[in-house]
Amino acid sequence: MTNFWLFIPEFTITALAFGVIGADLFLARENKKYLPWISSIGLIVVLGIALNYLLGKQENLYGGLFLIDDFSMFFKVFFLILGLLVVLISSEYVKNHIKHPGEYYGILIFSILAMMLMAASGELLTAYISLELLSFCLYVLVASGRYGEKSTEAGVKYILLGAVASAFMLYGISQIYGLVGTTKFADMNLVLVAENSSALDLGLIMGIVFIIGGLAFKIAAVPFHMWAPDVYEGAPTPITAYLAVGSKAAAFALILRMMSSGFISIMEDWQMVIIVIAALTMTLGNLVALAQNNIKRLLAYSSIGHVGYLLMGVVAMTPLAFDGIMLHLVGYGVTNLACFMCIIMLYNSTGRDDVAGYAGLADRSPFLAMSMAVALFSLAGLPFFAGFTTKFYLFTAVANEGLIWLVGLAILNSLISLYYYLMVIKSMYIDPSEDTTVLVFSRYSLSVLGILVVFIFLVGVYPGPLVELIQEASQSLFSYIP
Amino acid sequence: MSLVHFQILSAALFSIGLYGVLARRSAVLILLSIELMLNAVNINLIAFSAYTESLASTGQVIAIFVITVAAAEVGLALAIIINLFRSKGSVDIDKIDVMRW
Amino acid sequence: MMLLDFTVMEGVQVAWLAPAACILAFVLIVSLRMFDSKIGSVISIVAIASGFAIFLYVFGQFNESGPAEFAREWFTIGSTKITLGMAIDQLSVVMLGVITFVALLVQIYSVSYMEEESRFGWYFGVHSLFAASMLILVLANNLLLLYVAWELVGLCSYLLIGFWYEKRSASEAAKKAFITTRIGDVGLLIGIILLYRTAGTFDTSTIIHIAQEGGFADSTLMAAVLLIFLGAMGKSAQFPLHVWLPDAMEGPTPVSALIHAATMVVAGIYLVARIFPLFEVADPSLTVVAVVGLSTAVIAASIALVMTDLKKILAYSTVSHLGFMMLALGSGAYVVAMFHLFTHAFAKALLFLSAGSVDHGTGGKRDIRQLGGLRKKMPITFVTFSIGALALAGVPPLGGFFSKDEIMMAVMDGRHPVFFLIAIIAAFMSSVYMIRALILVFFGDLKPENQEAHESPALITAPLLILAGISLVAGLVLSGWQDFFNAKHHDINFLVLALSLLASLGGLFLGWAIYSKEWISSRDVAAKFGDLEKYASNGYYLDVGYQWCIDRIVLVVARIVSLFDRIVVNDVAVNGTGYSVFLSGFKLRYVETGKVYNYALAMVVGILVVGLTIYWGLI
Repeated sequence: MTNFWLFIPEFTITALAFGVIGADLFLARENKKYLPWISSIGLIVVLGIALNYLLGKQENLYGGLFLIDDFSMFFKVFFLILGLLVVLISSEYVKNHIKHPGEYYGILIFSILAMMLMAASGELLTAYISLELLSFCLYVLVASGRYGEKSTEAGVKYILLGAVASAFMLYGISQIYGLVGTTKFADMNLVLVAENSSALDLGLIMGIVFIIGGLAFKIAAVPFHMWAPDVYEGAPTPITAYLAVGSKAAAFALILRMMSSGFISIMEDWQMVIIVIAALTMTLGNLVALAQNNIKRLLAYSSIGHVGYLLMGVVAMTPLAFDGIMLHLVGYGVTNLACFMCIIMLYNSTGRDDVAGYAGLADRSPFLAMSMAVALFSLAGLPFFAGFTTKFYLFTAVANEGLIWLVGLAILNSLISLYYYLMVIKSMYIDPSEDTTVLVFSRYSLSVLGILVVFIFLVGVYPGPLVELIQEASQSLFSYIP
Repeated sequence: MSLVHFQILSAALFSIGLYGVLARRSAVLILLSIELMLNAVNINLIAFSAYTESLASTGQVIAIFVITVAAAEVGLALAIIINLFRSKGSVDIDKIDVMRW
Repeated sequence: MMLLDFTVMEGVQVAWLAPAACILAFVLIVSLRMFDSKIGSVISIVAIASGFAIFLYVFGQFNESGPAEFAREWFTIGSTKITLGMAIDQLSVVMLGVITFVALLVQIYSVSYMEEESRFGWYFGVHSLFAASMLILVLANNLLLLYVAWELVGLCSYLLIGFWYEKRSASEAAKKAFITTRIGDVGLLIGIILLYRTAGTFDTSTIIHIAQEGGFADSTLMAAVLLIFLGAMGKSAQFPLHVWLPDAMEGPTPVSALIHAATMVVAGIYLVARIFPLFEVADPSLTVVAVVGLSTAVIAASIALVMTDLKKILAYSTVSHLGFMMLALGSGAYVVAMFHLFTHAFAKALLFLSAGSVDHGTGGKRDIRQLGGLRKKMPITFVTFSIGALALAGVPPLGGFFSKDEIMMAVMDGRHPVFFLIAIIAAFMSSVYMIRALILVFFGDLKPENQEAHESPALITAPLLILAGISLVAGLVLSGWQDFFNAKHHDINFLVLALSLLASLGGLFLGWAIYSKEWISSRDVAAKFGDLEKYASNGYYLDVGYQWCIDRIVLVVARIVSLFDRIVVNDVAVNGTGYSVFLSGFKLRYVETGKVYNYALAMVVGILVVGLTIYWGLI
């Protein structure tokens, strides 16, 4: 008998999404400003329901298609909070730049559902369908900018390339399905353990490689990263933040589960490839970021760099490294949201998103400049900010597996990244601005930004409780391995 | 006719689709090429499930899912492409390079 | 190890209150938004003064109870507990005293020196944070906490050096200091992680214990120690990573005094001293330390000889003396190195603050060619500057004489005589440039435009007099120092003593002969060493070389990578005229950028490469 209570967060969040879209139909135009509040309160309710019913449960649905464990629970909570924060940072932007707020929030909530499903899926087809649900939502959101060709252009590029990537992934899934005979991760592992790994034939390799390719597209790892800068630049800014944090985290959740419970027995075969991809990704991301002059593009390349760091953890394949990945996802997520909140606030009042537009920001709005500086320092991995603690944990975990040179490269890359973050900071504090009017922001956006900055410090200075939660989550992931 | 033949058919169809994605300049034709790739996957899935006893036809179920997802994808992509056509008056992807550096 | 309980208020454990007070001051200043207010300075000074009071108490307690370690769990990495902990031993107690004392005097001095500035409160806030991170650095009982504080020191120095951020040179200097020291930090972090990998802990004393038991593979320990030393080289401005320090003179003078005397730059010396047993186990590494220290001492001293900016002379003198400290460490005498750190801290703080006083009294002049004859106009500053200069030149019985002599003896004991000879030459040069600065600034004829020069107010001269007093007597604590560290007293080697005395007095005499009596024309000397002089006054073109590397290698690589990444038509790249021909080739080939099919092609190629790699890997 299927226990549908295990699905309650997914059911309620679906209802919420329809509710928001429905409310949009009936609300008068001047009342649409309540939509973000409906969405955020709804998300908090879903969060409460999830914590109430599922905390600490270790079960599965439909014979292993969906897994309810500490790992999926961690990501559920992470995605719900992330969604809440994205709704909060969106609300002023949406008011000015998006035509249909109801659809925007509704689809945003659907994408949270998709991410929750991705983290919980224990099987390839489920993973694929939730991945597609996520992608579809993101295609729409990316293309939803009201004015400007950039948003549509970004949408076209994203959907065409995304569809190619998912076709590859699907082909890979069909190969695995045919040759291994199952799509469930745990069963796949059993079959692969039984077979001699040197007996892997070309078809199976093709399957694995195609799946890796499809997921690498999602996380924007080199050489599947080329869509990222264009799409990041063109998308509405809150969606850029969401892409950089949410869709990446969801894809990593899937990768971690799939690699650890599906393909761990043939680890030697794919490990070297991931090492090379990780090294290329971080180096290319950080080097190319040096030459950028649009802040969103710069952050796109910086996020590519961060994907490189995270991939090192996948290579290491230990509970410790997985802790590191999850921790860094949280630290990077908080920091990135703060950074994008600054970008959105500046864009709302000046319409600039090039680095030159940041000139003299320190005099025009000291708080905004300081928050941006904090966020950038955290991205660069300076101590006492979230970025340091999480990165350090990740690097240590990877070094523990003997990949010292890779960690060395990552630390060197952090140095390079400091250089281009300092360029932005220099621009804010030194370069004179042609426009010196003092910028005034609403109390609302200032307090959202304040909360995010506090989070940056909190994760950086007192990561203890967070680390404990994450350690439990990653242990539950490794409990599937026989 | 054996499984290998179907696999070759599927791989060929996939490659033709991929060639179309790389060679075509019209967004709509690229989309059609992607459909070819997805149909190659369907052939692969159905062939596997038909020729392998132990798979018990689950491949056909997966294929139905794939067809559904593909339909949704085409609908969405066409909507965005129409949007592109409205703003640019063209669906030629050579012309969409506002963002490139 | 005892648990660090944040409510216990007895014994040496109260030491954690010192950094806590400074952090509290920073938080208060920032959260109450006192960026322009004068109250900020009061808060900050009260905090650092209580830090000094805590030091006095801890020092008393320490003499009774001896070394101790305290820790409190912070978070865990796997099964490794990361702690917030502190180690109270001779090293950290001494540093606690030096830092709080010098920082206190510098802050009192700043009240008057910086009174005209906007962002006055912010200045003091960052000062507090800087002091706090420096205190955490010296108190930390594990390498991770030390690294955190180490980076924070770097960040604060960035903020302080770039305090006048409206001034382009200041902000460039701040960035340079930050990035250059970070280059060393890359090594430091990798080194720490290497140690952790074998030891399974970040705890300094445990790591040292494991190393002494032979728990590390030789090559690992060697690599880790050298990488950590790279971090120390960056922070302590050792050749060839010293280039940031002279530029950092763009910051306010009290900041220079703080950073270059008692705090940031000695962090590297402190780090090496802290993990000194590791260097001893991985023995050849000490030779590296000695060679780096020696070359830094000589090279920086030779540059200081030809500088004309008073603060730059002092800056290169700092670099040179840091070289002496490294040399002492490399000769196996870390107690001596710490002693030189101690005497140098007071003398150098004194010199910088006196230079600031000159600057304050003459309306911002720092070029020694425009100064002269100030001894009548600024008598107190003249006296204090002379004491500082003579102390650094190593004239008995001032502090510098004893510490320098100890270093020479340690070098003679621990290293090849060649090291000793070169060190003597460096010491000789250090006498010459010190007397040169003293004579050119305070003796000779008063320039007409300096008629208005006046002595600085009491808030500035009081710290000067205190520091001068300490510099006068600092040498006398030598034997007490050695007892405190349980080090053996060296027998006096009269040959060494004579030679080092000869070097400092000879240098003074030569400087006096050239610059005061003009028996030897400084122009003739300069002409004789024409090329060398040109190289030296340009810092041996290291900056130019680095800039070239950044422009021609790093940025070009970045651009080529971006070309490869279809970002060809970047206007940044096209602007470089020299490259445009080279670029156009790329431009034509990749003119179709931003195109979906290019991106798709990259994906396909990627998949093919990945697939083939795995396939061949299997065969």
